[in-house]
Amino acid sequence: MRKFLAVVKREYVQRVRAKMFIVSTILLPVVMSLFGLVPAIILNIDAGGPLRVAVIDQTGKMYEPLESAFATEESEEAARQPSPEPGAADQTRRGVSRMGSRSFQLTEVKTDGRSAQEVKAELDQQLRTKQLDGYLILPPDFLSTGQAEFFNNNPGDMLSRGILTSGLTRALREQRLVEANVGPETRRDLFRRVELQAVKIGATGEERDSGGSFILVFGVGFIMYLAILMYGQVVLGAVIEEKETRIAEILFSSVKPFTLMMGKLVGVSLVALTQLCIWGAAFAAFAFYGVSMMMSRGMPASIPSIPFSHYIYFGLFFLLGYFIYATIYALVGSMVTTAQEGGQLAMPIILILIVSFYLFLPVSRSPDSAFSFWVSMLPFSAPVAMLVRIVTQTPPFWQIALSLVIGFSTVLLIMWFASRVYRVGMLMYGKRASLPEAWRWVRQA
Amino acid sequence: MSANHITVKLDRVYKSFGDFTAVKELSLTVRAGRVFGLLGPNGAGKTTTIRMMVNITAPDSGSIELFGRKIDSALQNRIGYLPEERGLYRRMKVVDQLRFFAELKNVRGKVFEKRIDEWLARVKLSEWKNKRSMELSKGMQQKIQFVTAVLHDPELLILDEPFSGLDPINAELLKEIVLDLKRSGKTIIFSTHQMEVAEKICDDICLINRAEKVLEGSLRELKSSFGRNAVAVRCEGGDGVLDDPSLVSKVVRHADETQALLAHGANAQTLLRRLIDSGATIGKFEMVEPSLNDIFITKVTEHQ
Repeated sequence: MRKFLAVVKREYVQRVRAKMFIVSTILLPVVMSLFGLVPAIILNIDAGGPLRVAVIDQTGKMYEPLESAFATEESEEAARQPSPEPGAADQTRRGVSRMGSRSFQLTEVKTDGRSAQEVKAELDQQLRTKQLDGYLILPPDFLSTGQAEFFNNNPGDMLSRGILTSGLTRALREQRLVEANVGPETRRDLFRRVELQAVKIGATGEERDSGGSFILVFGVGFIMYLAILMYGQVVLGAVIEEKETRIAEILFSSVKPFTLMMGKLVGVSLVALTQLCIWGAAFAAFAFYGVSMMMSRGMPASIPSIPFSHYIYFGLFFLLGYFIYATIYALVGSMVTTAQEGGQLAMPIILILIVSFYLFLPVSRSPDSAFSFWVSMLPFSAPVAMLVRIVTQTPPFWQIALSLVIGFSTVLLIMWFASRVYRVGMLMYGKRASLPEAWRWVRQA
Repeated sequence: MSANHITVKLDRVYKSFGDFTAVKELSLTVRAGRVFGLLGPNGAGKTTTIRMMVNITAPDSGSIELFGRKIDSALQNRIGYLPEERGLYRRMKVVDQLRFFAELKNVRGKVFEKRIDEWLARVKLSEWKNKRSMELSKGMQQKIQFVTAVLHDPELLILDEPFSGLDPINAELLKEIVLDLKRSGKTIIFSTHQMEVAEKICDDICLINRAEKVLEGSLRELKSSFGRNAVAVRCEGGDGVLDDPSLVSKVVRHADETQALLAHGANAQTLLRRLIDSGATIGKFEMVEPSLNDIFITKVTEHQ
């Protein structure tokens, strides 16, 4: 046991002290926050003032609803954004209304008996002299055809066109309803969104929202995937290290191969956990900041309520998932002589990982099926599958326990297997084991 | 000879890898407090034998006893092993490596920290204590590797080709340390194919060739059993006499003297008389023991 701890300690201390580790641990949250902040900042850059759009309303009824359609949207936006200074409230209302898009300044152009051609020519002139950014012609039959024309200098501005289109659509719909004699209350009711709440009937009859848990399962699966991608290769490298540096034989005169392999696996895993915890804390800090920001703006945001036992299961199955795949990397490492060779051999592992990750779809659809049962017992797919089952229709405890026992036994078995392959491989330097050879070594050692 | 005078005892040990027999029916005894040379040409089975002694591989049949007990992993702590295939963690500081290797032998603590300094001083690497091993030269690394094998003060020290690649000064330094360890009562097993080195430091030897033992015993006895049938001669003239096959079976001419191996049935007195009769001026005429190298070559050739 003391030797095991010595191996773990060396592995951990050496790696955590390494510059690479320190840099990557600090850099990731910084980069992530930059990724979060920079787009927001860029989108907030207001390129020019509001878009000045003239409207030729040949129907004679559309300008009002159109203006109100834009006005309501802007006031809603403004309500969401806390105004920095009270005096600037008006500014905000007319200024930036949507992230990344420019607000609209609509002016109605009356034809006043002039021909459409004349008005158009005048507006074209204004476009050229940049007094106007665009003009909109709503033909007399707009209410029935829903077709309008927008002339502007910048047809590439997809964003503004989209906003204009949706504003027009809303105004048109409103006006059509008005003409169909639909009252204002009914009109409002018509557009209210459906709110679908997923309600779970637990074993005790209580009702809970499993949406939050489900997202968390996905999150756990994703972090597992990430951890394997990042640290699988490190485990492989760690196992090969003694072979490449020719230290293995010295070590084996002091420590059993199994102890050495387990020590390395655990050491590297602790490094991975350390890094994930630091990142997790950074992420939590951001998330907390974000949630409090959203709440201060009056947006509904809450941390989903998840039963405490689920957190324990999340932890356990995350560890299981990580170790199952990490040990496969260790096994590959025991068979090869250089890290490059190992990288090629490790490809199928990623494939299994992805396949087992997608199994969460059929499992979540029918968590009680025989298929789901077996998938949640199989070590490679158990971590995600069992978590899905736990948050949807929690299976009996014995099934959860059995899945964990099978999983962790598999980890030990693979490590035992790997340590035997490793020992014989070490005695025959420079030789990469084929699978049948590896099997023979295991029996021979 | 009582059991506690025997450090290692191999009894009809057999080990094969697939079709290849690495060690065949090998029995040998290593006595406590002696330097034991495990000698043989490349591929003879020396390393496999040693690996079985330190419990890295198990024999297919036969038994191995260390310190009077059947070998197990707990006994590993009492052995120091410097394998032929050896290295260091490149990015680790020298002192950290030494600590790590000692922890694997269950040694730690304050006294031990002092021992690290003593050993580093002894191999003249004190100022390298906090350097990473990748900054060390190859010879320095080899000395550090040697220190990792002796740091936990083992009763049995097994060295596989410890001096290969060292310059004469450092080889001499390590040789002195090995002899010091022997004087302090340690048992040392020394594996090599360099006979000149083995001859200088071994008390007992075991010669193996092609997985089998060819010869075992104390170096002194072996040499005398080979008889004093070699003569070192320095003379002018008389060349014809040395080339007479009825007197001399083999002649090796060195720069300053000639080694003559007496033919079967011939004796040195006859040779000396014949040389004088032939009118040669004799500067030196001495009966000498055969060198270990001679014994080695003779035995290995016979065995094949």
